[in-house]
Amino acid sequence: MSAPVTIIMIEDDEGHAKLIERNIRRSGVNNEIKPFTTGTEAVNYLFGADGNGLPHKGESLLILLDLNLPDMTGIDILRRMKENRILKCAPVVVLTTTDDSQEIKRCYDLGCSVYITKPVNYDSFANAIRQLGLFFSIIQVPQATP
Amino acid sequence: MRGPSLFRPEHDAIRVPPTGSSRTALGQLILLTAGLVVLTLISAISIYFVNKARHDARWVLHSMKVENEISLTQLQMQRAETAQRSFLLTQHPEFRAAFEEAAGQILPGFERLEKLTIDNSYQRQRLQQIVPLNNQRIERLRRGIDLALTNQLDEAVENARREAGRDEMRHIRDLGNEMRAEESRLLAARTASADASQSFSALITAIGSGLIVLFAGLSIYLVRRSSRERDLANAQLRDINLNLESTVEKRTSDLREANDEIQRFAYIVSHDLRSPLVNIMGFTSELEDLRGNIFRRIAELSRPDGLPPPAMDDSARVAKPTLEGPDEQLSQDFTEALGFIKSSIAKMDRLIGAILSLTREGRREFHPSAIATRDLIESIVSTVAHQAAEANAQIRVEPLPDIVSDRIAIEQIFSNLIDNALKYLKSDGPGDIAIRGQRKLGFVIFEITDNGRGIDPKDHQRIFDLFRRAGPQDRPGQGIGLAHVRALVRRLGGTISVSSELNKGTTFTVTLPAAWMGTNRDEQT
Repeated sequence: MSAPVTIIMIEDDEGHAKLIERNIRRSGVNNEIKPFTTGTEAVNYLFGADGNGLPHKGESLLILLDLNLPDMTGIDILRRMKENRILKCAPVVVLTTTDDSQEIKRCYDLGCSVYITKPVNYDSFANAIRQLGLFFSIIQVPQATP
Repeated sequence: MRGPSLFRPEHDAIRVPPTGSSRTALGQLILLTAGLVVLTLISAISIYFVNKARHDARWVLHSMKVENEISLTQLQMQRAETAQRSFLLTQHPEFRAAFEEAAGQILPGFERLEKLTIDNSYQRQRLQQIVPLNNQRIERLRRGIDLALTNQLDEAVENARREAGRDEMRHIRDLGNEMRAEESRLLAARTASADASQSFSALITAIGSGLIVLFAGLSIYLVRRSSRERDLANAQLRDINLNLESTVEKRTSDLREANDEIQRFAYIVSHDLRSPLVNIMGFTSELEDLRGNIFRRIAELSRPDGLPPPAMDDSARVAKPTLEGPDEQLSQDFTEALGFIKSSIAKMDRLIGAILSLTREGRREFHPSAIATRDLIESIVSTVAHQAAEANAQIRVEPLPDIVSDRIAIEQIFSNLIDNALKYLKSDGPGDIAIRGQRKLGFVIFEITDNGRGIDPKDHQRIFDLFRRAGPQDRPGQGIGLAHVRALVRRLGGTISVSSELNKGTTFTVTLPAAWMGTNRDEQT
């Protein structure tokens, strides 16, 4: 693995973002985490000015995606990523409050790698995120190449 | 949010077509009655005139008979005289016989005349004059014959000659002619009268027929007009019906939209409420950790300087720093506050979860299927058998009518109700729960009866409201079950009611359509 994996965290709630980051760090993951609080910012970063995702060619990205964003739904971002030939192999972890079975099915249909519901109970939440961090530390993330 | 406005005057203004038809109907009735009256009148008048004509004809005939009789009698008189003269001339006995024969016929003729003219004083008067004159004359003629027979021929001829010059003879003739003239006058009058009644009858018939034709024409006109009006009214009615249907459809879709909106709203709200809750919970937990750190630091700092710092490898002492007096109190207050926050968050999470599951239930599509109710309830009972045994309760399932409805909904309704019955039994004595059912007028009525703690009548309405509970709050629960049950029963087109008394037990009565066709919201896409 040439380049270290960058974790892109798309999460509108800064409190959640903080809690997620903290718990990922506690699990021993030290990769760079880039937080985005709006869908537009995240899309601009991911797909670049041309909207083709070329800036990230050769990088290894892992996406943490919330579905309920103020300016767009995470599902749109997921769909666009899976349609992009550069970004389509980056693993996407959907991390959201929705536990509706329809939503879950839709996300897997679109090609998300993992779907996690944020538990309200903090112990469960922290536990889930730490396990996710452990998961991150063992999975292989491909380089974004066409 | 586009709210459904339930009252739209432009749809409510359903105009009733003008009621001119009743006036037309009255007109027709009057026409028909008038036609009938005219017809009856014509018939009566016709019958009257036919009778009158017959009567007149009889009288015409009568006059002719009288006239005929007069002529006959006069003829006989003529014959008698002729025969007498002939006898005087020839003395042949056959002329005498002819005379007697003619003379014999005169009297009966007068008698017949008398009978015929019994009602006519004028004729009778003439007749009374003519009969004696005639008798005298016949007598004289007979005497002439007698004289001839006794060879006094000359005297007889002389008598006859004298006889010819007498006024009496003329008088008889005149009387006869007068009678004939009178009878002719009567005949003319009677014929005229008969003609008059016949032509009058014809006139009346013609006028009556004309009137009937007129009435018929009017009637046809009225019928056509009213049928045109009826067609118009029918068309209007069709329009109104269509309008009504579309109005109903529109309002139904408005209501559906509003309902969907509420469902979406509840879903989104509960969903969005969860997000901050995660933060509150998360940072509260973080605070708890911080609290641990802070109080450990305080404990370390407040340690007397003389004592050595705790060894770093002694994890038990690090984890359990000892606090003194007011510090201990502070730590406990801190823990208590955090505890309240956490328990409140947990409760709020449960409530939000309940709303979420309710709205999810509301969005679920119902599909009717045939359900063997008793089997379904037996299986529910078997899943709660353990709880029932713990509560020392028996559940009796009586024979139940089958039903066509949504299986999952029915399952949820009964398991909630049975669950409630088990949950709120009295602590003393064995529990008894019975499930009964009967079919009535296309509906099935189920009763779930227990001998539990009962519900105060003032709470009977409240218990069906969301998050509301009644009685001592010693059992876990959110106050959702019955609200959920009522929503399900309503969606299935049924009703639920409760009758209960404190400490006497409770009966929930669920009425559901025996065959629910799923007309609820399945048509929405």
